Parts: sequence; structure tokens; C-alpha cells
Amino acid sequence: MTRGVRGLIACSLLAAACGSDKSILVAGNDEASPTVPTSATTIVTVPTVEGEEPLIGTPTTTPTGTPTGTPAISVTTTTTPLETLASCPTDALTGADDVVEVTFWHGLNADNEDSLNLIVDSYNASQSGVRVMAQNQGGYGETIDKYIQSGQDSRPDIVMFPDYAIQTIIDTDSVIPVGACIQTAEYDTAVFQQSTLNTYSSQGVQWAMPFNVSTPVLYYNKARFRAAGLDPERSPQTLQELRDFSQQIVDSEAAAYGISLDSGTDSGGGWFIEQWLANGGDLYADNGNGRLAPATRVLFDEPRGVELLTYVQALIADGLAYNVGENPGGLDQFFKMADKTEPAAMTIGTSSGLGIVLNAVDGGLVEGITAEDIGIGPFPGPGAVPSALVGGAALYVVAGHGDEKAAAAWDFISYLVSTEVQSQWTALTGFVPVRPDALLVEPAATVYRDDPRFRVAYDQLVNAPDDPAQLGPIFGPRSEVRAVTARAVADIFSGADVQASLTAAAQQANALIADYNARN
Amino acid sequence: MAAEKAPTGARLVGRYALLGIVTFVVLFPVYTTVIAALKPGSEVLKKPLVPNAFTLDVLSDAWTNGRLGRYLVNSLIVAVIITVGQLVTSVMSAYAFAMLDFPGREALFVLFLATLLVPLEATLVVNRRTVDSFGWLNSYQGLAIPFVATAFGTFLMRQTFLSMPRELIEAARIDGAGHVKFLRLIALPLVKPALGALALFSFLSSWNQYLWPNLITTEPEMNTVQSGLRLLRFGSLNQPNLVMAGTVIAAVPIFIALLIFQRSLVRGLTSGAVKG
Amino acid sequence: MLLPSLVILGTFVLYPLGKAILLGRQRCDAQGRTCTSNGWDQYLDAFRSTEFQNALWITFKFALITVPLGLVLGIGLAVLANKALSGIGVFRAVFSSTVATSVAVASLMWLFLLQPEVGVLSNIGWLSDMFPILRTPGLLRSPTTALWSVALSSVWASLGFTFILVSAGLQGIPEEVHEAAAIDGATGTRRFWAITLPLLGPTLLFVVIVLTARAFQIYGEVDLLTEGGPRPDATTTITYLTYGEESIINNNAGLQATTAVLLFLVLLVLSMAQLRGIGRRVHYGS
Repeated sequence: MTRGVRGLIACSLLAAACGSDKSILVAGNDEASPTVPTSATTIVTVPTVEGEEPLIGTPTTTPTGTPTGTPAISVTTTTTPLETLASCPTDALTGADDVVEVTFWHGLNADNEDSLNLIVDSYNASQSGVRVMAQNQGGYGETIDKYIQSGQDSRPDIVMFPDYAIQTIIDTDSVIPVGACIQTAEYDTAVFQQSTLNTYSSQGVQWAMPFNVSTPVLYYNKARFRAAGLDPERSPQTLQELRDFSQQIVDSEAAAYGISLDSGTDSGGGWFIEQWLANGGDLYADNGNGRLAPATRVLFDEPRGVELLTYVQALIADGLAYNVGENPGGLDQFFKMADKTEPAAMTIGTSSGLGIVLNAVDGGLVEGITAEDIGIGPFPGPGAVPSALVGGAALYVVAGHGDEKAAAAWDFISYLVSTEVQSQWTALTGFVPVRPDALLVEPAATVYRDDPRFRVAYDQLVNAPDDPAQLGPIFGPRSEVRAVTARAVADIFSGADVQASLTAAAQQANALIADYNARN
Repeated sequence: MAAEKAPTGARLVGRYALLGIVTFVVLFPVYTTVIAALKPGSEVLKKPLVPNAFTLDVLSDAWTNGRLGRYLVNSLIVAVIITVGQLVTSVMSAYAFAMLDFPGREALFVLFLATLLVPLEATLVVNRRTVDSFGWLNSYQGLAIPFVATAFGTFLMRQTFLSMPRELIEAARIDGAGHVKFLRLIALPLVKPALGALALFSFLSSWNQYLWPNLITTEPEMNTVQSGLRLLRFGSLNQPNLVMAGTVIAAVPIFIALLIFQRSLVRGLTSGAVKG
Repeated sequence: MLLPSLVILGTFVLYPLGKAILLGRQRCDAQGRTCTSNGWDQYLDAFRSTEFQNALWITFKFALITVPLGLVLGIGLAVLANKALSGIGVFRAVFSSTVATSVAVASLMWLFLLQPEVGVLSNIGWLSDMFPILRTPGLLRSPTTALWSVALSSVWASLGFTFILVSAGLQGIPEEVHEAAAIDGATGTRRFWAITLPLLGPTLLFVVIVLTARAFQIYGEVDLLTEGGPRPDATTTITYLTYGEESIINNNAGLQATTAVLLFLVLLVLSMAQLRGIGRRVHYGS
């Protein structure tokens, strides 16, 4: 026994002694293979917001970005002609003899899954040619994993992927761009909220149809705002205000913390970083966020990113914010608001959680908080005006399953983005409609009028100015890079040096991007 | 049976107190789970230790909407296929290794034993693809077939066959019994206890499979209890009592089986220790 | 007669192992299908990488916690229940009951106990006043306690199994041995160390081997309780690094194969060490 244990310890000591302090991500790569490409591949310099403007209220003199004299970006660099890609025979349904069954993978949970099933059922009942089978994969991440791992025959006919998956999915060569279906069916997308479409298009090709669009919003407890002497109808609009409000809440002992934050990949550790940079007018990756030419490196370690995270770090260090950590399940930051003894008065979460949160509170899960107490405000960022990137997910048509399935998939997708269904979907969940006309019909019209909380996510999406920073980054290993930033954010939240953490994270991210670009 | 004699007086009281405390600690998670599963959502967080409300709605919700009923059936089918499969293949291969003479027997047996050293986790990356290429995702064969043979079973049964009295085998030979007849009439009845132990091991380990069903299931209806609970956990954290209800439903059948088969369970698990 | 076993073991154990060894030196494209060699040094580099070293250390630590703790508690319970008391059958049934809980069931029970906001323990006022860590940051969210919490859940789940085995081992010790020792004047404690424990040797060896194997293959508990967190990867074991949803190499088929094969090698070394170090010292009584 003792000898066994000694053996184990000896083994691990040996292992520790030969640790290399390098990431597994570069394992096996030759030393020569660069982390940052040396030869200037297509690097397009893009003007970021002018340097003299401080990022967040506080007067700093941080020079930012590379303010060269390059003209404002006009998109359309290289466009892939649609004819070279898989075609979408949208009229193939008329030739079908039997009911066409299509499978639909999604990653929606809890009440949002129920709402989706409701819509799928009404689609199945509305016609007899197509039968959709919705299959929950457990989350966005699980959906991507299972899709990538499966052979083409085992893949579904329609699949929902989050915004960050687009480049990976393009490179799998496994989907029919939805633009092909739009073209064949002569479907009119002019009434759509254009940024939702643009997010899912790359080099002129519309790859996916936005369906469940969400943006991060501020959830706050109106009762605690009142107790702190704050106006319960006005939430902080900027990070600077967030700090001020939090200070007042903590000082007045209305709550133990101003806000609860997390370092989850699809929230505080990844998504919000992208959102904050965009709101400040900054790019996340070079080459116009990868939309002008393939991205070669990330930019979040530049002074503006450092300033941003230093600001957030201080919120935690000063006891104004509480960090709930990785947030498996995506609800921990909300639970912190409901904590019995040391609650937070605010948190940031996806707008698509609105229906779930309101239902949970209505069901009496949390003592002392009613649905009326929940306030929703815009995502407080470094910019003066709240704005947000298109988040959430979009629908892809999977190729190679025959004309009938492709046509059926398109039929279902066009149903999901119809005015009526988008109206219903928005009212049930808190997702943002992909077309403004959905807000003119019931039930969304009433909900948006009577319950302004549902409007917030939409308004800040429409507010976003029209430039590449506002379309979000596009490059292959987005999901991995989020995992990298989430680790850095976790370190930063627990007090690590911001610049060092972000530099290390950026190096890893750049290595991932270089590696990805070399293999695809 | 070497249970020690009962203590008396103060020591007796002390002993019962100790047993009581340990029982409390062991059962505490079970208790909190069960009472949460029997409460409506509005009461779960208020008094976590007191059964201050009672409803069966959450259990029935977990059974139907949480699909726990379906998952239980799936788990049962998969576990039965694996158990029966392992018994059959183990007996066959063990018989060959123990009773037959063929070239390369020793080498093959070593190869069999070597597979014991390969952890399941080292093979799943590739097995996921293999099963996919067979078109076996979301199927009982996909969940079960990769596990219907085991070197452990072969080893256990071989040892058992080798320990059968030589005279019996000789006698059967003289009577002219063929392999099948010998196996069916003489050998199998003799090795019943070992078979029982193997069956128990197979059943419990296949029932407990977690990673594999998660990897190869994309249709929610084809989840087993374990992978289904994962879906429930990440899908319904806003309803802790629903997750707890699912947990209770998943545990109850095995718990009942345990109560019924307690004696043979103990015998089965122990024979593994003694023989292994 | 060997054919069925050979086909299954060949297809689902030997072939995938061989294939994984080859795949483990490769990197793949987004599709995960076109893979090119990145050289055998991928194994060495991966082994030496910070992530794998961390996972290896976490896995060892997990084993070093769960194996001795599981063993000691199993022996303790078995000794405690090994008395001819009335109603002892009920206690025995209780102690063996956790055998009925699977990984998912046990983990979810413990999740509901330990979760800092909606969990049971943090909602018991006096308890969380006494141990504020239950609520802030929560046992599962503190880097210092997360691994211990996961280990505790795992030890609890395997308690029934160890209890049953050790109990049976105890009952297999002939009464005369104890009586003889008692006549010689040996006290209860001394009898336990001098007689009971050595005679339990083979049983304990078996328990240790099973618990070690379990510890090195732990996955479900981590997945359900912590998802490998809190960062930086406080509970990311080798299996979670390979298969976990939150793992940094999740979806990198080449590197997944690399770490899977490394797990195999680690276990191989461990089995050798176990056989050599422990096997020789156990007294097979009688």
C-alpha cells in the first residue's frame, strides 16, 4: 500500500517536473509554426473609434487601435457566387408523395423549449406535407458537438446554431446556404431587421436564417432600487452608471451587492466581452472583425479591452459586484439575485431568459420577489448609448438529404420567420423579432406596448450603428476562443493582472486562429 | 458468520447512537431529495428540511414531460441486452479457453486479458464514429452492442470452469457428451453462482453508463436514465424540484430491486472479490 | 465459440485503441474528417502541456482523496454494523443503499444539497451562518473546496459498494480466531489491527483496485456538479478534459484522441504499480 502511494506521488512529481507551461492547443505543432503570422496576409486596417475619447467615463489618455487614414469600411470584398454552392430546390415539396419528415436539432431549454414545441406543433397541424420533429440536444454547445461528430447521414435536416458557430459550419461544407433558398423561392427579406441577416452572412452569402435573436440585457430588482432611493423605472445605461448605482445600492444596504456577474463562456466570460467591445465601437478581431478578409488575430488585449476589464474587475474588487463563476446551466447569476441573505440587485443575462425568469418568479420559486419586481434595462456598456450585437441563434438547412427534405426544411424555416410566428415567439420568450412587422400584429403588439421589458432587447439592437464592429466577429475557432477568454475573465475576476491575463489569452486565441486557418 | 457479540449497557446505547448518526448522514441527501420532489415549486426553497407541502404533480410531470418513464424502459432494455450478451459470450469464450485445445490459445487469452487494461474512455472517441457509420446512433444496438463481450466475464467464467472437478469432465467424456450437451447439462448448473455474480456486475455497470449514451443519443426519446437526467438537469434548473423528481424516479426501481435481491446482491458482489 | 467475443472486443476495444493512437498524432479540419499528421511529438507536448498536467494532477488528487476515504469509511461502517444487535438488518440495508444510486442520481442529489443559491444546505439559516462558505462562494464554486465536494459525492455513492464487500469479508473471518485472541488478552482495538485487518487483505485489495479505477475514470460527477470548474479548471480531470462540454479541446478530434490515449498510458503505468506494490504484500489468509 505505502509503496503504491509512494509510486503515485513519484509519478506525479515526475510529471510536474516535465511540464512545459505551454497550452495543449499547440501540442505537436512545430516551433516554426507561428502563433502570429509573420508574413502579411490580408491585413486590412480599420479605423477604430478615435483615440482621445476615454472608454468609460473616467478620464484616461489611452491611445487606441490603429487610427490610420483608411476610409470607412465598405463591405463587399470578395463575394462567393451563390451558383458555386449547394442549390436549394424549394419547389421539390410538390413532387413528394408522402409526408416528408424532417428532424430539427435545437439547444433551447426550459420554457423556451416548451414555446418552441408549441410552434412546431402548430406548424405540423397547419399542413399535411411536412412533419417536423424537434430534438433538443441539451444546449448550443452540445448541438455543435453532436453535429460535428456525426456523419452527414446522421445529421438532422434543420439545425439551430448560435451566432459564433457560423465560420465552423461554413467550413464543414455540409449546409445549403439559406440564401439559395431565398433566391429560389423569391422570398422577400426586405422587411427583415437587416443586422440579424447580416450577422449570418459572410462574403455575400446568406448562410443561415436568424430565428431566435437575443441580446444581453440588465435584469434588476425594482424593490431594491426603491430601497436604495433609486428610480425603479430607470436602470443604469452605461458601465459608469452601473458603478454609481451599485455604489448607492451597497451603501444604502438595499442589497449586499449591486450586480452579480459570471464568467461563463456564453455570458460574462465570452459573449459580454464581444458585446462590450462592440458597444465601445471596438473590433474584436482584425480585418474588420473577420468580415473583410479572414481574421488573423484578436484585438481584445489592446488598451481598450484592458481598460474595460480593469473597470469590471474593480467592481468586484470594491465589493460592488459578485462573481458567480462558470455558471453551468446559465441561471446562477439570476439565483444570486434571489439569494436570501446576500442578494445582488442586478444581473446581466440574455433577453431570451426573460420568459423563463418571469415564469419562475410567478411560480413562487423565490420568496418575496414577484414578476412585477423584475425590471429590464439595456446592456450597460462603455459607450454612451446602449447598443448590442445580434446574439442567439439561426437555422441552417443541412445538405445531402435529398431535394424533398431541403424543400421541407425551407418551408418550416419560412414559417418560423413569418410575421405571425415571430410575433408569437417574441411574446412568449423574450427573443427579439427578426422582422419589425411582427411587432405590429398580435400578440407581440400588445406585449411590447403593455410590458416595455420585452422591448429593451429590440431597441438596443436597432440602436446599433452600421459598421463592422456592430456585426460581431467571424472566424473559425470562435467557441474555443470564448473558452480562452472565459478562463482569462475568471482569473481577472479573482484579481489577476488584467493586461497579463488578456495578453496570454490573446496569444492562445491567435494560435487557435492560425491553426484553424492553416487547416481549413 | 462471525458477527461480534452484542455489547451491553452504556456501550449498547452508544453503539445505537453511533448507528443512528451514521444512518442520518448516509440518508440525508436521499431525504432532502425525496421531500423536494414531493413539493410544489413555490415551497422548495422555503424550508428545505421540512415536508411542509405535498404534491405528486411534479413526479408525474417528470414522468411524462421529463420522459423519465421512457428513459427507464430504455435503460432496462439496454441493460438486459448487455447482461444477456455478456453472459452468453463469456460462457462461450471461457469454455473455449478452459476446455478446448487449439493453437494460439495462450496468446489469445493474453490478448483478451490485455483488453482489460484499456479504459472505456480511451476508445469512445473512435467508437462514436464506428457506431455512426453502422447507422446505430439513437438505437438500442448502438447503446448495447459495443459492450456485449467482456474480458472480465471471460476470465471469471474460465476460472470457474477450471475449478470444476476433473472427474466430472472425464465422466462426461466417457458418456460421449458433446460440448453443447456437456455445457448445458453439467457445466452451467455448476457455475450458476459465478454466472449470477457476472450478471449482477454487467447489469449495474451498464445501468450506470453515462458518457456513452450522452455521446450517441441525438433523439431525446432514446436517452437512458443517466443521459436523460443530464438533459433534465441542464434544461430545468429553474425547477429544482422537477430535477429532484426525475432523480427519485431514476433511483426507485434499482432501490426496490436492491431490497428484493439484497441477499443475492451481497453474494454476487462478494464472489467477485474472492474470485477476482 | 470465441468468435462473438473476438468480434466485439476487436471492433470496440482493440480497433478503436489502435485507431485512437494514430489519430492522437493528428489534427483535423472543422469537419473533423480530414486529419493530417502533426507528428508523434503531439503526445509528448500534450502530456507536458499545462492543461494536461493540471488534469493529471487533479485526477491523482481525486484518487488520493476518494480511495483512502472510501476505504476507511467502508471499513468503519462494516465494523460498526458487524454486531449481533436487534434491528441491525435495517442499518445494514441503509448502509448498502447507496449501491442503488447511479452516477447521475448521486450527483444530482449532491448538486441540490450544495448549490449555493437554491441548494438545501445554504438555505438552512443557522448552518450557512456557521459556515458562510456554503453560500459565498459555495462549496462547488470555491477552487479550494470544489474537488473535495465532488469527491465527497463520489465517496458517498460508492459507500454502499465498499460496505457490502467489507461486511462480507468480516463475516468470512472465523469466530475462533477472535475468541482465541480474546483469551490471549488482546483488546478490541488490538484485535482489529492485528487480526481483522490483515485477514481482510484480499477484500481490501479488491476494493482499492475498483475504487482507483473508478477515480481515474470519473466523469459524470464532474459534468453534473462543476463542469470542470471553477476556473482555472479546478475539477477538470483527464476524462473531462477529453470529453467535457466546457473543455478547451472539446471538438478537436485529434487532441481528444491524444488525451484519451494518454489516459490509457497513465492507467497502464498505474496498474503495473498497483500489481507490484500492493499485490505482494497482501496475505491471502488460510
